[in-house]
Amino acid sequence: MLKFIAKRLGISLAILVLGSLLLYVLVINSGDPLQDLRESNDPNRENRIRQRIENMGLDMPWYERYWDWLTGASRCLVGQCDLGTAINGQSVNALVATAAASTLRLVVLASLLAIVIGVILGIITAIRQYSGFDYGVTLFAFIAFSLPVFWLGVLLKHYAAIEFNNWIVDADLSWPVILAVAAVLAFILQAALGGDLKRRLITFAAVALGIVAILTYFDLVTWFRRPAIGIPVYVLGVIGAAVLVIVLTSGFHNQRVRNAVAATAGVALVGYIAVRGFLMTSATIPILLVCFVAAIAVAVAAGQLLGGFSRRQATLASVVTALLASLLAIADLLLSNWSGYLKEQPRPIPTIGSATPNYESTFWMHSLDALTHIVLPTVTLMLISIASYTRYTRASMLDVLNQDYIRTARSKGISERKVITRHALRNSLIPLATIVAFDFAGLIGGAVITETVFGWQGMGNLFRTGLAAVDPAPVMAFYLVTGTAAVTMNMLADIAYAILDPRIAR
Amino acid sequence: MTEPNNPAQLDQVHEAEYEIESMPDEVTTTDKSYSQGRLVLRRFLRHRGAMISLTFLILIALLAITSIGFGPIPGWWSKNHVDLYPIQEVGGAPTLTLWPFSIGEHPFGQSTIGKDYFALVMLGTQNSLAIAFTVGIAATIIGTLVGAAAGYFRGLAEAFLMRVTDLFIIIPTLVLAAVLGRMAGNVGGIFALAGMLALVSWTGLARLVRGEVLSLREREFVAAARAVGTSPWRIIVRHILPNALGTIIVNATLLISAAILVETALSYLGFGVRPPNTSLGLLISENQNALSTRPWLFWWPGVFIVAVALCVNFIGDGLRDAFDPRQQMD
Amino acid sequence: MTTTPRFTGENPVLKFDKLDVQFRTEFGTVHAVKGITLSVEPGEVMALVGESGSGKSVTATTALGLLPKTARIQGDTRVTDKSIGQLSGRQLRSLRGNRVAMVFQEPMTALNPVITVGEQLTEAMEVHGVAFGRDAWDRAVDLLNAVGIPNAERRAKQFPHELSGGMRQRVVIAMALACDPDVIIADEPTTALDVTVQAEILDLLRSLKDKLNTGILLITHNMGVVADMADNVAVMFKGTIVERGPVEQVLLQPQHPYTKRLLAAVPRLGEGHGQFGVAPNPVEPTAEAALDVRDLVVEYHRAGKKPFRAVDGVSFDVRRGEIVGLVGESGSGKSTIGRALLGLIPSKSGEVRVLDQNLLGLRGHELKSLRKRIGVIFQDPAASLNPRFPIGDVIAEPMSVHKVGNAKEREARVHELLDAVQLPRSVYNRYPHELSGGQRQRVSIARALSLSPDLLVADEPTSALDVSVQASVLAMFTELQREFGFACLFISHDLAVIDSLAHRVVVMQYGKIVEKGTREDVLLHPQEEYTRRLLAAAPVPDPIEQRERREARYELLKELGDEVVELDTRELDYDARGPRTES
Repeated sequence: MLKFIAKRLGISLAILVLGSLLLYVLVINSGDPLQDLRESNDPNRENRIRQRIENMGLDMPWYERYWDWLTGASRCLVGQCDLGTAINGQSVNALVATAAASTLRLVVLASLLAIVIGVILGIITAIRQYSGFDYGVTLFAFIAFSLPVFWLGVLLKHYAAIEFNNWIVDADLSWPVILAVAAVLAFILQAALGGDLKRRLITFAAVALGIVAILTYFDLVTWFRRPAIGIPVYVLGVIGAAVLVIVLTSGFHNQRVRNAVAATAGVALVGYIAVRGFLMTSATIPILLVCFVAAIAVAVAAGQLLGGFSRRQATLASVVTALLASLLAIADLLLSNWSGYLKEQPRPIPTIGSATPNYESTFWMHSLDALTHIVLPTVTLMLISIASYTRYTRASMLDVLNQDYIRTARSKGISERKVITRHALRNSLIPLATIVAFDFAGLIGGAVITETVFGWQGMGNLFRTGLAAVDPAPVMAFYLVTGTAAVTMNMLADIAYAILDPRIAR
Repeated sequence: MTEPNNPAQLDQVHEAEYEIESMPDEVTTTDKSYSQGRLVLRRFLRHRGAMISLTFLILIALLAITSIGFGPIPGWWSKNHVDLYPIQEVGGAPTLTLWPFSIGEHPFGQSTIGKDYFALVMLGTQNSLAIAFTVGIAATIIGTLVGAAAGYFRGLAEAFLMRVTDLFIIIPTLVLAAVLGRMAGNVGGIFALAGMLALVSWTGLARLVRGEVLSLREREFVAAARAVGTSPWRIIVRHILPNALGTIIVNATLLISAAILVETALSYLGFGVRPPNTSLGLLISENQNALSTRPWLFWWPGVFIVAVALCVNFIGDGLRDAFDPRQQMD
Repeated sequence: MTTTPRFTGENPVLKFDKLDVQFRTEFGTVHAVKGITLSVEPGEVMALVGESGSGKSVTATTALGLLPKTARIQGDTRVTDKSIGQLSGRQLRSLRGNRVAMVFQEPMTALNPVITVGEQLTEAMEVHGVAFGRDAWDRAVDLLNAVGIPNAERRAKQFPHELSGGMRQRVVIAMALACDPDVIIADEPTTALDVTVQAEILDLLRSLKDKLNTGILLITHNMGVVADMADNVAVMFKGTIVERGPVEQVLLQPQHPYTKRLLAAVPRLGEGHGQFGVAPNPVEPTAEAALDVRDLVVEYHRAGKKPFRAVDGVSFDVRRGEIVGLVGESGSGKSTIGRALLGLIPSKSGEVRVLDQNLLGLRGHELKSLRKRIGVIFQDPAASLNPRFPIGDVIAEPMSVHKVGNAKEREARVHELLDAVQLPRSVYNRYPHELSGGQRQRVSIARALSLSPDLLVADEPTSALDVSVQASVLAMFTELQREFGFACLFISHDLAVIDSLAHRVVVMQYGKIVEKGTREDVLLHPQEEYTRRLLAAAPVPDPIEQRERREARYELLKELGDEVVELDTRELDYDARGPRTES
């Protein structure tokens, strides 16, 4: 397995170098970097042209310029990058430092969310093949495949951001809106859960009533302006997550898994209640990371100690529980700060930029600021990816469900839920591992467009302005960052592939 | 066993024997004979979504071509995309009304400076369609050839395809397309752009064709052809590619819809079609800030992109079902 | 040995009562099973025999309630005292694997590739509450031991791809035994296996019903397997049972014409030439060699490993007008030889002389003109014809590749060939998918003969066909060989088929020739241990003779120092579990 991954990584790195040569040559031949000066009426024109030729080394042959860039870039391996200077004399290193973080955040977030949402939708549509839900999701996928990203982005800016900001001022929910939201959500949920007509009607009614009640309550307390999860709801949430994990992994009869998950959930609850106040005031990224690692460590320990014979399954279940509990905790902390954030930023969803400039506030305020900036670009960017993951997962799942070993599993008397989660799921994820790399490349391309729409000063912007000015340094910096990210993603996909498929371990 | 002497008994035995005679090596009874191509066509024609989409796409293409004419040939629409016309409605709003139906002077409205937006959108649609179909056809040919060679001969062709594929994991298609589109902009013309786009669009199809060929070349009818001494290219062209036709055609349609989106995205970024020519992406790019003041400038080109791409995608879906009926069963 | 008990059908563990199954399809409904009644008692092996499309597998699947939703089921299926049709999903699941278990045909695909063998075994036990955790694992290891898998402790931790086909089928059987079911449905359990492995699996199944008193519904098309295993037989044809009764009665005194026909079509080892009416002409001892293979070596290259030698120094010859049978089990290299002779895979060394020209030394035009003189027939009639070509083009393709004649002459030749293979000329414009398997194989033969080859390589040409179709194709093939006099290398795993038409026989194992000689010498008086094992393992469709052969095989195994495979129940304390208590 290690050999397999090492070989793939080696090829990727070689391609990374070759690709840089190709891109460099193409970029410097894509136009005339002096065009703007040639067309200007500046009396100092000749001087500026000479200066730029010198700056960019336009008098050197292309291979020398490339070599200069390559040697500078290869020093990144020892932590001393030199990515050259841009056409206006700015150091590209400085530009990249801020741009890379925001772009990678966007692309990685969109990628992870798309995988999770797409795979879940794909599995449900495969199980409910030819149901209304299946047709609905298929239609959504076709529309997503046909929507231009930039057009969607502009629409979201207008309707999701500006209209939402207008609404949040007093956050009023009218009765028709409440009823419509409840009806739509309940309809989707009953279609996804399925069953006979009676069961569907019950599902619909229960969900619709629940949502109406919640929304009415939210409206009464203007929850959307000062939301909170609070300790009681957090406790309920963690217990619910634990139950869900148990049901999805082993079922309730396996007491070892049950105990491990319960222990994890218990520690998570007590731990979070203990540190909540502290985190509220003085959280930083390292502190949160420590908390998270501690939670995972507890989960692993619980799984290993209490798992007994089903150690592996118990550990997996506990880790997932810890993960869910952590997510819930973060959500609680963020929501608790929302009303404060609204006071500082009355129009919370911005349409421009990746962060509010010169914004000085607490850790949680900054987190919310980053989140509100990233939410619309992420939605825009990941729509196509969700659609393609949904389609691939569905096809792969249907293929697996037709396999002989699924029939064998059913003939053993295993419940349909376990047939799906234990026998079909892992097999159907195997071909997806190869899709991830391609999809990630698509997301990076999409990020160039998304950043343009939302006015981000990210890597995509560096690429676009660089290319427009026939300026290789920023374009190559873009390439270096996104290419390395793609190679990393590719490697992760290979590792996932090798883990999922025991046949690969040669 | 005694011989049956009762005539009725005799009949029974004969009947049973007759039935058995007919069973193992049944002679075909139907008079009509269908080739696989005819079966596929029949299934496709019965696919309602695909047929509606196909009709719709043809209508859009006809509208775009006949209205403003094609190249030097004039069309039936009296206005062009260059001249400035006096503003008709407030802000140049569309004069199209559905009830009572009337086209008016400027059905899609006018741009900020008074250009006829219908003519502009039609020109953009023409360009986008022309580019998309050129890319689709060119990339399909390249992809099929490389994929077939890679799958059948393995070796160098396969290594080349695999490394190019690796390259596209690292340099996204759109990024390379943008660089090439920037280059094509210096040459000018939409077909230069289409050619450049074709150069970056064929790899996906090539990989799929390679996979298909890899499995087909192991089939016994290919082995039979090789054993007779059939030359490799004859095997590829006569035996393998016709059997990979489903994959090729379905993915050619998907290539076309992807090409529409890539072209419009490039034009939006400024690396595609350049003024004074126009494309749907360029129109959106020019008018993206007009959404609150002159929404029609933003909506019309977008609606046409989505309509064309959606139609092509549905046609592709219908073709997939027609070529692969297994997915429809059970 | 115990006398065969007579089963009266009074206490069935599995009973189909007027079972009727229809499927809705794109082209209307298909009536797969037409009101059959059948029962299996504890300790009984009921064989359900039929050819493809007879509805036998559909019948079996009904017992587990696993038919797809498009099926419309009428009549009653009972497992012990429960009627399958009236059970809820949960009740049905508590029955599956617990009271009624299934053994499938394809061991290569029946196991989940990403879950270890042990876990797949424990799963059924945990679901049905038979054992949990460590207990379940220990029992899984015991089960693997019981079905004769060595190193069970280690094997349990392996994934299916690390096991051979025979091993996997044992795992599937172990899985079926995991909850001590009342009845096991074995759907073609040995069809995908080699004949020696088949004999072992059958031994295992036989000891299982003897020791555990489990009822077995054995679905098969193989009359030899029926003779070897069954107590009672039901013959199924087009969805109905046409004949049933004790195995001796049905196989030795068949009443229904279909049964008679079916039995007459089974090739029988030891009956030699002319079983199907025509015998090949004897070969002149002085006839020149049409094919002469000397020290042929074929290697497969594997990434990162040393090459695998599939054929290792093989020498034999085929004279003009002679049929030489090449026999061996999977992995013996027999098909590789065929492919190497056709130039489909490269040979590493050796010499292949076809009509005195060295095939391996030729290139380009000369090679092409030599290939003209070699015809080929492959195994799979579905895969060996290009689905896009009408039959006329399929048969004419070799002629057009070699530019023989003009279009009109080719058409005339195709018509001649269609007559020769006894197909109506009207198939000329039809497509392969419109023909049945047997017809397609006739088309393959016509194509192989289109250039009047001197040598024909037939790679398992009848293995994918139903037995009655096989008989007619073999008869036709023999007749054509007499008529055209081509030399033929006939590759097959089926000794009885080889016996019916070959002049000489070559037996292969692990890429090497074990024994070669005339048909009589090799098949009737084998000298080598492997040939004797192979012959002993091939079942014959006569229960009395088969019983004797089985005893003789046990003797042989004892003589060779092997053990007879049987279920080892010492570790499986079934009795300790006491009587069943769940509802």
